[in-house]
Order: sequence, then C-alpha cells, then structure tokens
Amino acid sequence: MPSLTRTGTAAPTRGRTGASAGDPAAGTTAPHTQKPQRKLRHHGVATSRRAAWIFAPSLLVSLIFVYIFIGTTVYISLSNWKIGTTQDLSLRTPVGATYTELFAEQRFQADMRNIIVFTVLFLLLSIGGGLVWALLIHHVAAGRGFFRTVFLLPYALSFIVTGVAWRWIFAPSTGVNEILRAIGIENPPGWTTDTTILGALNEPGADLKIQLGIPIALLPIIFAAGWQLTGFAMAMYLSGLAAIPEEHLEAASVDGASTWQRLRYIVIPQLWPATITCFVLLLHVALKIFDLVVAMSGSGPGFVTDVPGIYIYNYLSSRYDKASAMAIVLLVLTLCVIVPYLIRGYRREKQS
Amino acid sequence: MFQPRRTRTAAFIAISALSVGALTGCAANSTSSAGGDNQLEITSWWTSGSEADALQVLIDAVKKADPGLEVENAAVSGGGGANARQALAARLQASAPPDAWQLHPAGQLASYVSGNQVADISDLWADNDWAANLPEDVASAQQVDGKYYTVPVGVHRGNVLWTSPTVLEAAGVTLDPSAGVDQFVEDMQTVAASGTTAVCLGDKDVFASAELLESIIMARVGSDNWNALFTGDYSFDAPEVQQALADYKTLLGLANSDHSALTWDEAAKNVGAGKCGVTLMGDWAYGELVNAGYEPKTDFAWSAFPGETDIFDYVGDGFSIPATNIPNAEAAKVWLETVMDPEVQTAFAAVKGSIPARTDADVSSLSEYQQSAVESFTTADIVSSLAHGQVTTAEFSQTYADAVSTFNGDGSIDAFIATMTAAQKNQL
Repeated sequence: MPSLTRTGTAAPTRGRTGASAGDPAAGTTAPHTQKPQRKLRHHGVATSRRAAWIFAPSLLVSLIFVYIFIGTTVYISLSNWKIGTTQDLSLRTPVGATYTELFAEQRFQADMRNIIVFTVLFLLLSIGGGLVWALLIHHVAAGRGFFRTVFLLPYALSFIVTGVAWRWIFAPSTGVNEILRAIGIENPPGWTTDTTILGALNEPGADLKIQLGIPIALLPIIFAAGWQLTGFAMAMYLSGLAAIPEEHLEAASVDGASTWQRLRYIVIPQLWPATITCFVLLLHVALKIFDLVVAMSGSGPGFVTDVPGIYIYNYLSSRYDKASAMAIVLLVLTLCVIVPYLIRGYRREKQS
Repeated sequence: MFQPRRTRTAAFIAISALSVGALTGCAANSTSSAGGDNQLEITSWWTSGSEADALQVLIDAVKKADPGLEVENAAVSGGGGANARQALAARLQASAPPDAWQLHPAGQLASYVSGNQVADISDLWADNDWAANLPEDVASAQQVDGKYYTVPVGVHRGNVLWTSPTVLEAAGVTLDPSAGVDQFVEDMQTVAASGTTAVCLGDKDVFASAELLESIIMARVGSDNWNALFTGDYSFDAPEVQQALADYKTLLGLANSDHSALTWDEAAKNVGAGKCGVTLMGDWAYGELVNAGYEPKTDFAWSAFPGETDIFDYVGDGFSIPATNIPNAEAAKVWLETVMDPEVQTAFAAVKGSIPARTDADVSSLSEYQQSAVESFTTADIVSSLAHGQVTTAEFSQTYADAVSTFNGDGSIDAFIATMTAAQKNQL
C-alpha cells in the first residue's frame, strides 16, 4: 500500500508542527517539497509504532462511530424496540421476524424497485452526461471556463432548493405540461402523480404486491438528480482528460486513427479511474436519496416515488426496529456493489 | 530539528484528545443559555406565522403570571410536528428534557406515558378542578389509565368541509351536514357534472387524504364504533367501513387528478379561488384561507362533514412536563396553569384559529367559524383523529397512513382491509 507508507513517514512531520509552533520552517514546508533534502529513514519498529499511534484516534473513532453503530443497528433491527423514546432491547421471536414483516410489505417492495430503478438510471444519466459535457468542454476552446461553471453550479445547490424548483416544473397542471399542451400534446403525462409502471413485468399478486418496471413518476426525479450531479461527473472527467498525455493522442493520429477510434481506444480507457470514482461517489448519493424526493413528490400515490430514506424517517418514531431493519437493507445494497469493487482493488494491489 | 520523543508523543495524545473532545462537544449540545435562574424552556412545532404568534400569546401570559421568568422558545419546524418530536425524542433519550413540550393527547400521549417520560399531573388537575370545565371526552383524552398527564390548550376540528359558495350555487347544490354521506357523494357528482372539479385535494403529504377517509369512516360507522376500531371490538372488515372506502374511491375519482403533487394549503386556496366545490381539511385551513385574502362566507364557506350524527374530529394541542430531570418544576407548573386560564385560551384561539378547550371561556370575540365550532364542540360526539396519530399508537397511525397511500395507488379495498385488520390483530 503505497499511500499508507507515505502518510506513515509524512505525518510525524505534521506532528512536530503541532508541537513546535515557534519553528516557522516546520509549519510551512509541505512533506514532499522538502523530500530532496530529507534523510531517508528505514521503516523500522519505531516508525510503525509511531504510525499506529497516529492511526489510533481515527481507528478508534471509526470503530465506535461506524462498526459498533452498525452492530447496534443490526441488534435493534432484531429487537422489540418500537417507540423511539422507549427502549426495548429484548430480542423479537422468531429471530428476524421484523425482516419477514418488512419484506412482505407493499411499501418495502415498492421502495426496493424504486431505489434500484433510480440508482441505475441516475448513474447512467449523470455519468454519461458528465462524460459528454467534459468531452465537449475539453475540446471546445471558447468559453471553457464559463461552461464549466454553468454545469458545475447546480452541484453547489441543496437538493431541497432544486427539488422545489423541479416540483413546479413538473407540476401536472402547470410547468412543462403547459409547453407540451401548447405544441399540441393533448394529454401530457402526470409526471410525479402518474402511477403507471413502464414495461411492467408482472401483475401484483399475493407475495409480490407491486408491479416491477420503471415507474413514470420516478422519471422527473431521476432527471432532476441527474441534472444536479452531471456537473460533478463532468468535473471528474475534466481532470481525467487533462491527465491524458498529448503524445498518446498524437501518436494515434499519426497512425491514422479516426476521432472515434481515439476516443474509444485511448481516451475512454484512460478515463476508467475517473468513471470508477464517479460511480462509487454517485452510488452513495443515489442510495441515500431523501431530500430531493421529499421536496419533489413525497411518497406518491401507491408509493410510486417512495425511497428507503423516507421509509426510515417515517418509521423512526413508531417502529424503531423496522426503521433499523430498513437501514440495514440499505447498507447491504451498498455493500453488494462496493465489496466486489474493493476485492478487485485489493487483488490488484497484491499483484503489483 | 528533532525534539525529544516524549514531547512528540505528548503532542499526539493532545491532538487526539482534542479531536475526540471536539466530537463529543458537538454531541453534547449544551442546553444552558445566558440569563438568570428562573427559566422556562418550551418545545413545540409552532413556527409558522399564526402558530408562532399564538405561542407568543402564551409566552406573554406566563411572563405576566411570573414576572422575572425568562422563557426560551425551542420550537422546531416542519413535518407536521414530526421534526419537533424527533428532536424531543433525542433530548428525552439524553435525559435533558425541556420544562414542557407540546403534544397531541390520547394515543400520542400514551407513548410518552409508556416510556415513563411524562409527569403525572392528576393533583394539579384536582387542585384547579379543570375537569369540571371541559367536555367529558376531552378530559378523558388527557388521561392514560385514569391519570392526567397533559393539559388541553386548544382544540382543532379535523372533519370540516371548506366549500366554494359560487361553485356549489352554479351546480345547484346546497350541502346539508345532516343528510348523510350518500347525499354528499351524490352532491359531489352533481358538481362534477356541472363541469367543475368537485373535490380539491392536496395529498403530497398523505395526511390530507388520510383525513378525508377518516371523516367518511367516522360518518359511516358512528363515534362509538370509531373508538371501538382501536380497541379491536369493531373490525375494519365491517360493511360500513367497506362502504366508506367505496365512497372515498368515488370522491378520489372526482378530485383534481394532480392531487398528489399539491399540498393541503394549495388545495384549500383552490377552493377560495373557486376552482372546485369542496375540500376537506382541519380548521387550520381557515387561517390559511383568510391570510390568502379570501373572504369568509363570500369566497369560501364551511360545513361539518355530513353524517347521521354530528361528529367532532378532535385534533388537540396540549402541553406536558417531564417526569424526571425537569429543569424548573415551579415554572413548568405556572406554565400549565397559565395555558389552562380561560382568558388565555381565548386569546390563544383568536390567533391560532382553534377554539378554547375550556367550555367556560368567553368566545364572543372569536370569528363566526370558531363560534360555530364551539357550538358543535359542546353538543357533538367528540372523537380523536387517526390521521393525526391521536386516537391510537404511532405505529397503528403509520400503518393507516401507509395503507391510504397504497390505496391511492391501486384502489384495492380488499388490500386496505386486509392490512388494517392485520394491524388490529397485531398492534392493538
């Protein structure tokens, strides 16, 4: 792990900075700028012990605030704790009954469908859109700074603020439907109020109480979220593009590669790390989505726009165990995607 | 350049300690504020215009009753009180309660009683003889197992139809509150046939449709059966409830199709603007309509939701005090006595748009709507609201709200009844 070793030697410098405020040199010199003059030291027992000391606080904090809290949440989800203010830590029998109850709910099933549809479409939209904007801005000389700001600006706003604006844009009786009616579309969609499921795969039954497919009501929300975070993906891709050596592209041109071939075989492969970073960071935004949906539509008729975040919030005071179970389901969803990615990363590190 | 190792180690420890200290410092948000010893901290969810003003009436009154008292208003806005209740729950868990907090009586109160968080104030009730000046149903809503835990400061009515006189007149409809639900549904169909949307609904927050449905169920089953629904003595499977759901489905079909994109206040204003015949909403809509510039009796009128008998859907506001760790017990007692003063209740109602809980309060200065509500309050059967989580547990109320959301999507009466009968079996 190269990053770990670097921090391991660099951090004592920072530690000294804290101890000797009177020494101006120590306060201003960054670790790697002074590297040439610095005497190389071996990573013996003393330095690794020091490293352990440095990591102790953050390890302690993440142990308590991440892992112990996850454990507590798992325990609560198996307990009888109902009213948020009245603690009841006795285990519910049969074990896991809360999860059985949860999985059978129409609302839970709708939430799972919605969050998966939302996540997939939102990631496609924002990462794809970000790539397109980045390529355009990178290759268009005029007004680069201006467009960069324009696309990045929505990212600086709160979801609540943009959600309220988008709510009005997609209000069925006003907003964008006025334009649709003006150009001759007689029955424009009801947007967030529409309970239709596109490409429905099944009829609701006794066990699966929802229709699987893409709820039309989710589309405006996906669009709004994509609009807001495309700029973020664009910024990631712009930095990725800047790091591609000109020589590679020039060499390809000399070999007679077309623009599309250069994009397909040189640019996009080299942007892969940026894609992965975008994917991981935006995945979190997608799975945790709450405020945008609350502002734009709430749960919607038949929970067409409900998401796990709203579910947890609604049940926090009345069914602490069920809210905790939903939180764990959300965690598992995240892990399903992140763990394979981490395993791949570790394998690669080992190989190198 | 190098310092002795001990200094460095000490520095690391100091830095770690500082960072941990900073973290815990954030968590243990201190409750102290500058000022004298005689302080009173009140939490509520009254933050919007008329609500905040009404709370100020109470605060001014308690300052008058106890000069020198400093009142800290720790109101939290949003979510129909849900956010404030979450904030309160966190403080109760941390054993740092305020001196008094706002709550709904009955079911919501019971959840605080079961957690031993709220103080038994039966002695205070006996000393002041409050029960003698309240309707019996209201007094009993302030109790759990025969003991008083809260005081009622004001009363809202949940089942009020706000009507557009122009729209109803144009359709040739006069609403008769005693004509029953069948007649009402027929009237709404007449309004729809006249070319105007019959029902305005804004259920982006689902409580608006939950309240419409509960009004229909109450009207269909009567007050005794309504209460029996929450003891399990009367089933959601009853034909009257099924009929109420069928009525609700009909009315939903006559409502504006974008109802799930509107909020309740937008729907109410559409009635004021004459865009539809009626909307059902609690009487907090009155203040909203007046503030929007609509004239009572000309731009909008009102009627109790039609039923066989007059039923008053009670949504109560009250205050309780903590059972343990109360910062200033003396000031909290003064607060409870102040909000139960009939004159204070009238002044509070005048601003809030509710009516006084005390029947001996002078209401002659209140609006025409409020006076009609007071009249109904003294004669009608008073039942607690389910849509506002007052009549039963928070869990059951949430199950009901979810069932209404599902019903709004698929319109399946069978699924609704299956969910609710299962909840009656498992949750009561």
